[in-house]
Amino acid sequence: MIRRSLRSGRVIAGGLIVLAVLACALAAPWLAPHDPDEQNLLTTLLPASWQAGGDPAYWLGTDSLGRDVLSRLLFGARVAMSVALIAAFGAMIVGAALAYLAGYVGGWLDWLVGRAVDVWMSFPPVILSLILMTGLGTGLRNVILAIVLVDWTRFCRVLRSEVIVVARRDYVAAARLVGFSHWRTVSREIVPATIPLVVTLLTLEMGIAVVVEAILSFVGLGVRSDQIAWGQMIADGRDAIYQAPWNLLAPVLAIFFTVAGFNLLGDGLRRSLDVRMTEGRE
Amino acid sequence: MQLLATLGRRLLVVLPILFVVSALLFTALRVLPVDPAAMSMPPTATRDEIEAARRAMGLDQPLPQQYAIWLGHVVHGDFGRSIHLRRDVVELVRQTLPATIELALCAMLVAAVLGLAGGLLLFALRDNPAEPVAETGTTLMMSVPEFLWALLFIFVFGVALQAMPFTGRLDPGMIRPDITGFLLLDALLAGRLDILRSAAAHMVLPAFALGIAFAPPIMRVLRSSLLDVYHEDYIHQARLRGLSETRILLRHALKNAILPTLTLMGVQFGFLFGGSLLVEVIYSYPGLGNLMVDAVRNADLPIIQAVGLTYCVVVLVINSVVDGLYLTLNPRLRAR
Amino acid sequence: MAGISRRMLLQATAGAGLGSLAAPRIAHAAGDSATIGWPSDVPAWDPNQRFVPDAQSLYKMVFDQPLNQDPKLTLVGALVKKWEMAPDARSLNLEFRDDVMFSNGDKFTSSDFSWTFFDRIKAGHKVDIAQSMRKVIGIDTPTPTTAVMRFDSPAPTTPVWLAFLGSFVVPRAYMEKVGLEGFNAKPVGTGPYTLAEYQMNARIVLERNETYWGPKPALKRITVEVIKDPSARVAAIQSGQVDITINVPVREVLRLKQAPGLVGELNPITRVILLQVRNDEGFADPNVRLAAHHAIDKKALSQAFYGGAAVPLTVPATPGSPGYLDDYTFAYDPELAKQLLAKSGFSPEKPKKIRMASTNGQFPNDFDMARAIVAMWKKVGIEAELEVIEYAKYFELNRGNKLPEATLYSFDNATGDPEIYAGYLLNPKLPFSPWKDMVFGQKIIDMFNVADEKERIAGWRKLNQEAAELGATMPLLQSVQTLVRKQNLEYQRFGNGWVLGQTMRWSG
Repeated sequence: MIRRSLRSGRVIAGGLIVLAVLACALAAPWLAPHDPDEQNLLTTLLPASWQAGGDPAYWLGTDSLGRDVLSRLLFGARVAMSVALIAAFGAMIVGAALAYLAGYVGGWLDWLVGRAVDVWMSFPPVILSLILMTGLGTGLRNVILAIVLVDWTRFCRVLRSEVIVVARRDYVAAARLVGFSHWRTVSREIVPATIPLVVTLLTLEMGIAVVVEAILSFVGLGVRSDQIAWGQMIADGRDAIYQAPWNLLAPVLAIFFTVAGFNLLGDGLRRSLDVRMTEGRE
Repeated sequence: MQLLATLGRRLLVVLPILFVVSALLFTALRVLPVDPAAMSMPPTATRDEIEAARRAMGLDQPLPQQYAIWLGHVVHGDFGRSIHLRRDVVELVRQTLPATIELALCAMLVAAVLGLAGGLLLFALRDNPAEPVAETGTTLMMSVPEFLWALLFIFVFGVALQAMPFTGRLDPGMIRPDITGFLLLDALLAGRLDILRSAAAHMVLPAFALGIAFAPPIMRVLRSSLLDVYHEDYIHQARLRGLSETRILLRHALKNAILPTLTLMGVQFGFLFGGSLLVEVIYSYPGLGNLMVDAVRNADLPIIQAVGLTYCVVVLVINSVVDGLYLTLNPRLRAR
Repeated sequence: MAGISRRMLLQATAGAGLGSLAAPRIAHAAGDSATIGWPSDVPAWDPNQRFVPDAQSLYKMVFDQPLNQDPKLTLVGALVKKWEMAPDARSLNLEFRDDVMFSNGDKFTSSDFSWTFFDRIKAGHKVDIAQSMRKVIGIDTPTPTTAVMRFDSPAPTTPVWLAFLGSFVVPRAYMEKVGLEGFNAKPVGTGPYTLAEYQMNARIVLERNETYWGPKPALKRITVEVIKDPSARVAAIQSGQVDITINVPVREVLRLKQAPGLVGELNPITRVILLQVRNDEGFADPNVRLAAHHAIDKKALSQAFYGGAAVPLTVPATPGSPGYLDDYTFAYDPELAKQLLAKSGFSPEKPKKIRMASTNGQFPNDFDMARAIVAMWKKVGIEAELEVIEYAKYFELNRGNKLPEATLYSFDNATGDPEIYAGYLLNPKLPFSPWKDMVFGQKIIDMFNVADEKERIAGWRKLNQEAAELGATMPLLQSVQTLVRKQNLEYQRFGNGWVLGQTMRWSG
């Protein structure tokens, strides 16, 4: 499975981008030319170093508090990647657990999970996460929690139908006949059959999580104000669009690259693992 | 008739969902650490006055009772008054909903046109060396969410080129004809071409920002449906009959490949409607999204409740209509 | 043939569409109208309903106040010709003009006055002026042009309040006829303009009131574009979509000044920016409070966020207002701050931990300023955890005694009266003050009942200084209103930041 996917150009390109962003996040303290929180009220909103009035010490200029944009960009990758990884795994665990349960057990449980998904899906995700963040309050943990609470349906809906298909296959019935326990049947027969789908969904969800975190931080309902996040940088940078455009452009591009990395990776996996899934985005 | 019956059945399913959604919404918002009674009073109010307000708002009752009271009012079309604005919430929604629907429809049009054109292009490029490039292009397009498009468009067309307006719905100084609330339609009805032109110009950037973000999935589905259809026998037969490729594509293939694409567009429209919120905020577009964000900032519970529910109703209605249309248009599924 | 003509038609319409979109959108400045880009809408058209400083300018174009302020903020007559406060400050005699008409043709009389400030409050209308008119126990109207307001305790600031937030006269007969909803849908006032069209959160179109009792406005039509986003306001003034706008980022004002045909102004107004502080928890120790105050470089804040135009403050009052002290300074001295903290056993290595709150977007650069203060404190040994709160939440948190040690706050007092500064900001009985210590608090409360004007002002000046020395207040800056306008659009500048359509005219 791994070797097959590694033959795909998309998987390689996407994987490299994601690894690069991850490396930036991990090595931010060593890569960043300045302390990202160091303010200098005398040199605020410098343009990028190659623009008129730029300072070579600040490649991408400074923000409204005189902090180095490049350093903040690198540190911002930490929040983005933490959210991407933890929230996506969280959503997967909740969504997949319910999907396996519903798809395998069937009956009223399946009905209940199905209706829960219906109710959730009737909320546009942006609206639901906004309402959740209003209730939970800002902070990294709550952003992750909100994403998990909103996006588990993405896994549950797609996986449930796949589980139903797999559960009807002969070898699963055979496993039951042989006397395998339910646990063993699910964990040994059904879960492995759905792994390619789960991996693909997981990768795409990471891209979505990056966007959601940026959106929430952008409207001021994301991470705490002393945490460095790309969405927050965009919100700050909007007011300085004329003097120091890189305050806005740098985090926009960072989000684009990160999401593109996850999408290329997910797309490549979907093709090379031959996963069938419905298209759609929000 | 068939269509209406199907639609009716679908909408019947919606009601219990809405009931659950409203109950969840109500509970979630009551758990919030804000006191609507205190928020509804000016800062100088005394504790006694706040207590009186709390009783008047029924907030001293247990939660289920509060919900029952609220639901009783809602059934009669009364969603209460905004705490911050002190206006009838239904009126607030009525004033902003048409603007958001108009934006969503225009954006959907953009998404459909770009999606169909892009899908045909992708299909035309099949087995061509350029195909992987084009497909990677769609993946990259999908990586730009609507709020980034919105910011980029402002940056390029608003600030750098100064070619397009990017705030509100109309030029300053124009008086909006208020007939239906749908500005483009109203301008036509009033016969005001100047207003129509201004409204259209103001619609371009938000509609494109929102629409372009939802076009790539449409492209992909159209392409893969077309690929599927081209495996069918009747395409082969049409070729044998000597029909031109264009004719085959337009008369036969597209007709059959369009159904899944239309279904997807329906689903997309629901998401797109929710996505309009950020685009509205960025373009200061006076719709439901701005109302919602302001309400969230002011912890204006009655508005959050009503607007949240409005989003759900619209999404559910769209989904039901799409399902109904799908079943009606696709006789094979109707038999189920 | 049919195909060709259809294609031609399509091309033609497409061309026309593009052409029309690309056509210049900038409406040329007509001689008798102007467009204002304003950051917020009215909360409702009933002007008594909510106290919103930013809405005052909007209300003042449609409604009149009993008393008015001139550009230097001196009280002057408006609907009230003459006013006289009784020596014990328990009653106020008023004489009204008799040439004032509401825009629906009704004549304004003392009955409308008593309706606005007493009867409608008694009738249970939910209006904020119920709070400012709390002391009123009755309004007598012996004749249509006279009234006597009676108070249950000395109310020396009532005339000031009659020119302040929410004090706009509404018509009794009309409001009783159409009801509140009807009034909000079609408001009627005595002001220089009438409401011609209103689109919530988007646009207010005002037409000149041709029967206005006062000076006739020069401009026939005023359009108010509600543009909440600061960068959108910048774009709107730059592209000529609006003729005048306020509250744009300071740096944008400096940049737009260079643009031909535009004027950028940084106008000091009656708004103070300060830290509201607690007297307990992490701030129980006066050393910590005073160190926190000494550690703030107010000049640097002004330079970085207000282009140096905002005046650093030492007391909670603005320069020129009666409560301001010209001869009192509170030094920026980080070394002294370190010494004070060291006395209590804290240092940059072993910092004192406190919490701090700030709004984000409530006033220009609020959040940036809070983050800068956090950095200044860190250098002397105070580690503040910054939390963003919504403005509306401030009062609720304070009621529950849950505000952090310091909260960045801006307080607008268009009247300049010292009672409405320190008396509100530091009164433990009012919701503005997180300072709940009753020793100092009682002194503030007692000042409210001083009827003699001289004694009153002197008392407030003394308390202002005491508050700063006690560390009960940390005033930062006098706020500036940023304003950008077309060069040939003239307007009257007011010390409290009012921007009024009736004072605008085109020159040249």
